[in-house]
Amino acid sequence: MTRRLFRWVDERLGASHFGRKALEKIFPDHWSFMVGEIAMYAFVILVVTGVYLTFFFVPASEEVVYEGSYEALQGTKVSVAYASSLDISFEVRSGLVMRQMHHWAALVFLAALVVHMCRVFFTGAFRRPREINWIVGVTLFVLAMMNGFFGYSLVDDLLSGTGVRVGYSIALSVPVAGEWLAFLFFGGEFPNTEFITRFYILHVLILPAAIAGLLGAHLAILWRQKHTQFKGPGRTEDNIEGSRLWPSYAAKSIGLFFIVTAVLAALGGLAQINPVWLYGPYDPSQASAATAGSQPDWYVGWLDGALRIMPGWEIRAFGYTIANPFFPGALLPGITFGMLYIWPWLERRFTKDRDPHNLLDRPRDAPVRSGLGAATLSFYVILFIAGGNDVLASLFKVAPESITNLFRALVFVVPVVAFFVTRSVCRSLARDDVHPFGGAVGSRVRRTPTGGYEEVDGEGDKPVVGAVLATAEHNPYRPPPRD
Amino acid sequence: MLVLVAGALGVAVLTVEASAAPAQPRQAAPSGSDAADVAAGRQLYQLACTTCHGADGEGVEDRGPSLIGVGAASADFYLSTGRMPLDRPRAQAERKRVAYTPVQVRQLVAYVASLGPGPPIPRVDLAAGNLAEGNRLYANNCAPCHSSAGAGGALGRAVYAPPLNRATPVQVAEAIRIGPGAMPVFSEQTLDDEQLASVVRYVEYLRRPNDRGGLGLGHLGPIPEGFVAWVVGLGAMLMAVRWIGTKD
Amino acid sequence: MSQAGMPAERRIATLLVIATLAALGLAGVYIAGGQPQAEGALLGIALGGIGFAIILWARGLSTEGTVTAERGPLGGEPEDEEVVEERIAEVKDEPGRRSVLKLFWAAGGALALAAVFPIRSLGPAPGRALLTTAWHPGARLVDQDGRLIRAETLQVGGTVTAFPEHAEHAADAQVVLIRVEDGALRPRPGRENWSPRGYVAYSKICPHVGCPVGLYQADRHELLCPCHQSTFDVLDGARPSFGPATRSLPQLPLAIDREGFLTAQSDFEEPVGPGFWNRD
Repeated sequence: MTRRLFRWVDERLGASHFGRKALEKIFPDHWSFMVGEIAMYAFVILVVTGVYLTFFFVPASEEVVYEGSYEALQGTKVSVAYASSLDISFEVRSGLVMRQMHHWAALVFLAALVVHMCRVFFTGAFRRPREINWIVGVTLFVLAMMNGFFGYSLVDDLLSGTGVRVGYSIALSVPVAGEWLAFLFFGGEFPNTEFITRFYILHVLILPAAIAGLLGAHLAILWRQKHTQFKGPGRTEDNIEGSRLWPSYAAKSIGLFFIVTAVLAALGGLAQINPVWLYGPYDPSQASAATAGSQPDWYVGWLDGALRIMPGWEIRAFGYTIANPFFPGALLPGITFGMLYIWPWLERRFTKDRDPHNLLDRPRDAPVRSGLGAATLSFYVILFIAGGNDVLASLFKVAPESITNLFRALVFVVPVVAFFVTRSVCRSLARDDVHPFGGAVGSRVRRTPTGGYEEVDGEGDKPVVGAVLATAEHNPYRPPPRD
Repeated sequence: MLVLVAGALGVAVLTVEASAAPAQPRQAAPSGSDAADVAAGRQLYQLACTTCHGADGEGVEDRGPSLIGVGAASADFYLSTGRMPLDRPRAQAERKRVAYTPVQVRQLVAYVASLGPGPPIPRVDLAAGNLAEGNRLYANNCAPCHSSAGAGGALGRAVYAPPLNRATPVQVAEAIRIGPGAMPVFSEQTLDDEQLASVVRYVEYLRRPNDRGGLGLGHLGPIPEGFVAWVVGLGAMLMAVRWIGTKD
Repeated sequence: MSQAGMPAERRIATLLVIATLAALGLAGVYIAGGQPQAEGALLGIALGGIGFAIILWARGLSTEGTVTAERGPLGGEPEDEEVVEERIAEVKDEPGRRSVLKLFWAAGGALALAAVFPIRSLGPAPGRALLTTAWHPGARLVDQDGRLIRAETLQVGGTVTAFPEHAEHAADAQVVLIRVEDGALRPRPGRENWSPRGYVAYSKICPHVGCPVGLYQADRHELLCPCHQSTFDVLDGARPSFGPATRSLPQLPLAIDREGFLTAQSDFEEPVGPGFWNRD
């Protein structure tokens, strides 16, 4: 029956030629190549649950008296947006699970994107001919972060409203055009009743459409260029080894989709996230409430951390001000993403390597790149942890001032240390497959007087006779690749 | 269902409040059996408190403040939460194991109250409070330090606003009225008695808030949520791909 | 088929049976009224069962293991490239077309520029909005519920959030009113009569990124902002003593009128809130 269906379609669309190429297409199987898929499937869940939520969420700032079933807010004046979020959480059957799945999926989406970007970076997959896909990918990351921010701000609760205020102030701090930028984007002086509808249209239409479009391009480019692969016996720059799309790779991918969704479903029902009824509404008319322990969602946490540890410096000259939040809030992200975008060309300038690459580096094959990557990662991780300085302070019963000062130091020291440690580990691993902390592969032996062999302790950092022949590619002590 | 739960909660809270502090002297001035309490309290005071608070509660510089006029509310708050006695002057007196029996607490409170007129132990009529009104007042006055969920928060210089889940209704009311340590004072002019009851009722609610969504993760917000997303969420998925894919 | 295949099939079957039961259970939970934990757990089990079953099935499927093939070149055929270049050049090289092309660019550019203008409708001009608040001379202070604040309202060590009377929904006017001990304040020059009877009022909007500075540490007379821990010394004109804030909180000049109510002498003398280009 499937054969008849297929023939019916083929007569009208001529799909069989493409179909043959597609079904036989080879995809390398390494597990780290599937992290991008995790992100993609998280995005699918975001869209599915998001569509469901749009049937119930009302993006309006008008004030209404809450009359729902959550007793602790009955009779309270809240925005329609907040009231509809409460209704989703308490009145709509399966509403809370959908809302929580949506929010968990957003957090996991960005986490998977970060891990995927790291995989691409540390293996050099952004090199020619894949620079375009790197640009597309970085853009996807930026758009995803922005969409997450607008999304959790839609609920109009106290915590996210505080975050919107911070965003408005950062916009204000931009030199020359700041006031106009802030007033045009937010529809006037903050707080007001304009921004919810704008965030809504950005969050459900403009940004998801852009993400979906770029994701399509990302996959199409990948399809056209074929995936990269790690070095190994029988693998060259001109061939590709893996499983066929059908049935093997497709089955694995579909299975992964189910597993990703399963994890998100379990989290969505079992782990509470963003209990907006406990924060209460954001009151734009007075905007005078805030909660201790105000943090944004994790993927904005590095920005908040930068705002916290930035010392109180400001530039005031000739009657003009470049306000303090500009530097950590706008300049730092600008530099971050600028560097990410130009990285393929920056690296090429130093390595002078203009060749196309379909074989991947192992991180150890590019010690400087790996060192810089580790340093950059640790820089943002430190900023992210600094974003929780008040929580750390109350956890460890120390002054937040001490924590802040500590992180001001760490943010410079840790990346430098990370660079040198990573570079040296990579060099050691690449040179003789010896991990400076893990010791040698194999052992030193010597002949005993009775004719046998015994191990010699204490000089494990010198490669033994057999391992002298070891290089990154032909190490007899490494287990053979699984067939 | 929620109304039932809220109703049950209200009943439970009222029961707790009724049985919470057995010692609730209304007046600071001793009379009748209170005089016996004052005398017994004075004896207890001489044993443990004079080093920092002076022989007659006048205070000792750099060690302990004067207790004259702090009232029964202060004494009851500090003693019933175990904050006092304190081994040495600290930046913050923390809740710890109560050192005295309820009878001894009553006696010490009577003695301190007798040192001079001060705020009495507040009467809290939870039934007169409104949960939603308490929520609103809590958000505006208390959440900036104690957090929206009552989980506490850092103030400056190694001082912190403690989590509220162990405070009884009377203790909450006392703290609001006396402003212990770094906490500001909220007098009757800023929070009248009905508003006070509402706030206390809401704080009691926060001890067991509505966690309809599942595990509360400590009610600390996006930080534990991010942690769970990475470790549990992405962690499980990465384990899955390691199982699905190859390793070379 | 093979011995190894049997237990795998049984495993797959078990997983799928569990998944089916979970899905049916999920439907049942919904019909019965819904319960978030049960919904999430059952949905997770159903999806997970199917997912693992698919993977196990896929492993049993593929007997050919890994496959290798040639990649093929990425670039196109040289003839194709030549034809494309020729076609593009056809349009450009015709005589007389150059100037027309330039006019096309001009017209298109002007239109694109004009098309940008509707963006201006997105919001009002900033104007003086950021430079003034609703405070004016003689405005009485009210709390968040609109109750007037008298000279007896606060005890020493007390604090309340205040707004101008009739403007208690003007968010940029919010102040934090604190009563300190008489004589404890060290007023800035020119502000000696701004704080009657120990009452002092500062803008509640943090000059860092605008969070409400709601934490008052009474014993140290410090205001703390919950967002990024900027700390302000209440006794010294709310000067920032720690954190990323770069300026003091603007101080509202206070007075007590004849009926004993707290009033403002005037608006703030500087813009409230975070900094911006034209602040000074």
